[in-house]
Amino acid sequence: MKRTLTFGAMALAGAMTIAQAGYAQDSKGTVYYLVPTLLDEFQTGSITALEMFLGQVGYDMETLNADNKTDLQQTQMNDVIALAPDAIILAAVDFNALAPGVEAARAAGIPVVIFDRQIDSVESDFTSVAGTIEMGYTAAAEVQRLLTERNGAVEGKVLQILGDPGDPYTLDIQQGFEEVMADFPEVTIITHPAMQWEASNAGTIAANQIVTDPDIDIIFSHAAHLSVAVVAALESAGKAPGDVYVMSSNGAPVGLDLIRQGWMQSEVEQPLYAQAAAVAMFMDKVVNHEEIADGEYDVIGLPSVVTHEAWGATIKIPGAAINAENVDNPTFWGNLQPPADPVTPVE
Amino acid sequence: MSPGQRRLFEFVLDNLVWFILFVVLAIFSAFVPNYFQPQIFINIIEQSTVLGVMSIGLAIVIIAGHMDLSVESVAALSAMVTGMMFASAGIGMDIPLSPGWLKVPASLAAGLAVGGLIGLLNGVLVVKVKLDAFIVTLASFIWVRGTVVALSGGRSAQGLASEIRWFAIQRVFGLPLSAYIAILCFVVFSVMMMKTRFGRHLTLIGGNETAAFRAGIKVNKVLITAFVMAGMISALAGWLLAIRTSGATANLGLGMLFQAFAAVVIGGVSLKGGIGGVPGVYAGVLLLSSINTAINLLHLPAEYTQVIQGLLVLAAVLLDTLKHTIRKRLA
Repeated sequence: MKRTLTFGAMALAGAMTIAQAGYAQDSKGTVYYLVPTLLDEFQTGSITALEMFLGQVGYDMETLNADNKTDLQQTQMNDVIALAPDAIILAAVDFNALAPGVEAARAAGIPVVIFDRQIDSVESDFTSVAGTIEMGYTAAAEVQRLLTERNGAVEGKVLQILGDPGDPYTLDIQQGFEEVMADFPEVTIITHPAMQWEASNAGTIAANQIVTDPDIDIIFSHAAHLSVAVVAALESAGKAPGDVYVMSSNGAPVGLDLIRQGWMQSEVEQPLYAQAAAVAMFMDKVVNHEEIADGEYDVIGLPSVVTHEAWGATIKIPGAAINAENVDNPTFWGNLQPPADPVTPVE
Repeated sequence: MSPGQRRLFEFVLDNLVWFILFVVLAIFSAFVPNYFQPQIFINIIEQSTVLGVMSIGLAIVIIAGHMDLSVESVAALSAMVTGMMFASAGIGMDIPLSPGWLKVPASLAAGLAVGGLIGLLNGVLVVKVKLDAFIVTLASFIWVRGTVVALSGGRSAQGLASEIRWFAIQRVFGLPLSAYIAILCFVVFSVMMMKTRFGRHLTLIGGNETAAFRAGIKVNKVLITAFVMAGMISALAGWLLAIRTSGATANLGLGMLFQAFAAVVIGGVSLKGGIGGVPGVYAGVLLLSSINTAINLLHLPAEYTQVIQGLLVLAAVLLDTLKHTIRKRLA
């Protein structure tokens, strides 16, 4: 009896060891993703995309949601450091408040990848962003195009609806946008924030402004879900699609739907799939602390450039301007068609 | 003071918030560019719709001597359920019903059922299990919002069915039908609180629960009904919010709880319970919307809204204390 039990225990231990070894061969390691919020379609989409692409290159991913709270994300950073993952991917709630956390992680030997929300005040191992300021530039170019189409020249009135004014993401887009538009003094820009990124606040702003400024040409919201409420306000005010041009940035599915319905004329995309794929492509190099060479890379069909900035290796993947002509392009994440071909690690 | 003067004085005290509202509107009309025009006033009433209805639910529970922090999250869940059922884009399922107008009662019933169930849970935990209302409804505030995020996956439901959006598009004297629904709610619940036995019992319970019990009032039943009512009214607010924004997002309604509290306090409802009425709450809602509109039109930073709202709440509480002092002296 005793011999049987001993043999059984040894067999069980052996089976578990083999199973664990087999598991270790399937996974190169675990990566933690600190996401700022789950209240935004881009962020929830980023979890799915990162999980998929990282899985294709052999990594498991765990996600922690900061619920838009800086102090919570700082705590999460500290907790994750204690867990010693193979890498941390960070999309910061507050870009600079997480800088000490990034430093602490790297000091503990854990590489940190900055995703979507660029932190330039501290060094990281890799940054994959569309560039929020660059999104502002693209939006400005679209405003120029639309005003010319509508008024024959770059002149008119634009209502800019920000997200929460405490969010650096929306402030960066505003900065880039207004930097370019400053060259066009014939364009009046009226700016209001939709507190807490809440859609009905955007609707209220639009409803009031089209009364006091009935000559508004374009309403530019910093997220597609804000445009939904803007369009609802326009519709309630008796407007038809195209009476007032509507634009937004981030490329969420609701934005593309509004383009198809004729309400929205342009959406500046954050190339979610490309940003996430780039993280996966370089994850081996990040985890193994290898040098990432500057140069051009093909990221799921998008030509992208890695450069070395003061904060480290950075890949900036510019987002496209989506309009009625190209709205069905499957590469836009808002069409929810992830690339069929798996990504492969950069050698 | 003559009896006529005393009556006038008490009338002013009882309706102070309305007088403040008219004074504020007059000042803004005089000094804020573009404020004084019919469409702006229509916008103020329209923008008060959702907050107003939400505040009714909150006011009823506070007058009954308790608290309901879940109103915002219940509204969000109701909006999301409506969006998921009858929006055509995003995560909307666009459930087909024939004839199409059945979507209106179906979506409303679904929302009210959700709100009523959450209200019932809150009420049972507070009244039967004797948990603190603040904690119970704070937990509801958190888990119900979490349910919204879980149900939606963070995604939006957009493009609400035209039969339901009809209430935001159709206008009578410039006001959308949804605003009339809110006004009707204020009338109905004002009458309920002032003229029905249930309303009077609710106020008595809020003033002194023990005395009400000893007077033979079925305190537990009335309180649970109040929580269920608050849940259903908040759900109605959520349904109106989905109509207003033609769908729902995971963060819809965020921040409205504080505004509802501000409106309730400014409207003269005492946080201690037993004092206050629904008409004053509507004036409080209109006052907040008026100030919000003025800040927008003045292009002031939006943070000013929060500063002013906070100061208004403080002023309302101080005024309320002053009112009681004056009444005591008159008595």
